[in-house]
Amino acid sequence: MKGSPVSRVSRRRYLMVAAVLNLPLALFATAYLARSASPPEIPSNVAWTETTLAAANGGDAFRGLLLARRCDHCHGAEGFSDDSSIPNLANIDRLTIWKQLEDYRTDKRASLVMRGIAMPLSAQNSADLAAYYSMLPNSSDPQDKRVFPQAPPNGIEAGLASRLVTLGDGQRGIPPCQSCHGPVGSVRGAPSLATQNGSYILSQLEGFASGLRTNDINMRMRSVALQLTEQERRALADYYGSGAGLLPGGAR
Amino acid sequence: MRLEKFRFLSAIALFAVVWLTVRFPIEVQTAVGHFFGENHIDPATLHLNGEFVENNLGSAQESDGSVTVRMIAQQYVFVPQCVLVPAGVPVHFRITSADVAHELTVTGSTDVLKALPGTVNTANFEFPSAGEFSMPCHEFCGSGHYAMRAKLVVVPREQFQRLQPDERISCEPR
Repeated sequence: MKGSPVSRVSRRRYLMVAAVLNLPLALFATAYLARSASPPEIPSNVAWTETTLAAANGGDAFRGLLLARRCDHCHGAEGFSDDSSIPNLANIDRLTIWKQLEDYRTDKRASLVMRGIAMPLSAQNSADLAAYYSMLPNSSDPQDKRVFPQAPPNGIEAGLASRLVTLGDGQRGIPPCQSCHGPVGSVRGAPSLATQNGSYILSQLEGFASGLRTNDINMRMRSVALQLTEQERRALADYYGSGAGLLPGGAR
Repeated sequence: MRLEKFRFLSAIALFAVVWLTVRFPIEVQTAVGHFFGENHIDPATLHLNGEFVENNLGSAQESDGSVTVRMIAQQYVFVPQCVLVPAGVPVHFRITSADVAHELTVTGSTDVLKALPGTVNTANFEFPSAGEFSMPCHEFCGSGHYAMRAKLVVVPREQFQRLQPDERISCEPR
């Protein structure tokens, strides 16, 4: 049989099939051996470089106004939602809105709803939306269906929250909220919380603490939220949700 | 009178010439090292690539038994916020800043380490005894500076587990 054309063909076919079957295995083994260290865990593809800042700030608010009409249903026509678990977007700065849309688009922040909405947006669309929402006023409007100022917390909780907001807790390394989220200081990508809904703040703090939300650059919010107790998280959510973070006159 | 004035001015000129001659190479070296040296790092992209990505922060074990700790200082937290190291072992700190100047200090010791945006600063510390120490920021970095503090937990050498080469450890409650 040796040397006959039939057996030569079948042997060749056997070798080809074996090669095809083993190819993925070989590739995997090569990749595994070539791997020197574990791959980096990247919280967000956004980095505040000059080009990113230019892209995020270069939106056209009028285009944003047209695009934002598809956001009305959840985030409200004036940027105030009618459900306290959905964030208010009025007067949130450009960088924050642009970064969150980018993170939804690149699956760095998980949300089934927002993923589908952010996917078709271009970077320029995100910038336009950011420009529009950052210009919406956060003053009150009785005709709107907003749920924003929620019931204020009771005395003890309000005291606890106001201490964390203004002083933080140095013993545990918790910085004051207001030194990044305003009005005292600001940090790129840290939104104003002055007119944010309580339930939304609570869910995000819990998300940061439990690792469900991981799109904060250099683990800043995760480090802080992890240190807060359940009671403190709720107190902070109630504090901001009741409008206590607003300065007199509605400024943020 | 006139001679005295001339002497005074020439003394100042001489001082300036000597000072600039001595100082100039040092300044150039510092500037070149800052922008082109191996310790140069882009503070905006720490989380994307390089040694300060999330899963490379914390304590790592070297083959010679020493420990390397990588940290980021930023307004107003150190990451990781709780550092775990063994006692009586050389600990090599590598720190950088994501925004402004910070300084890592260890209470009860003279160990200090500046964290500056754009460079990786390094220092070798050794902690003789086990215990918990506070590591406050000692460079005014903004309104939250007074609450910027990390924790250092020094455990006895035997208790510090043997780590894999690409394994990182910290004592954050996660």
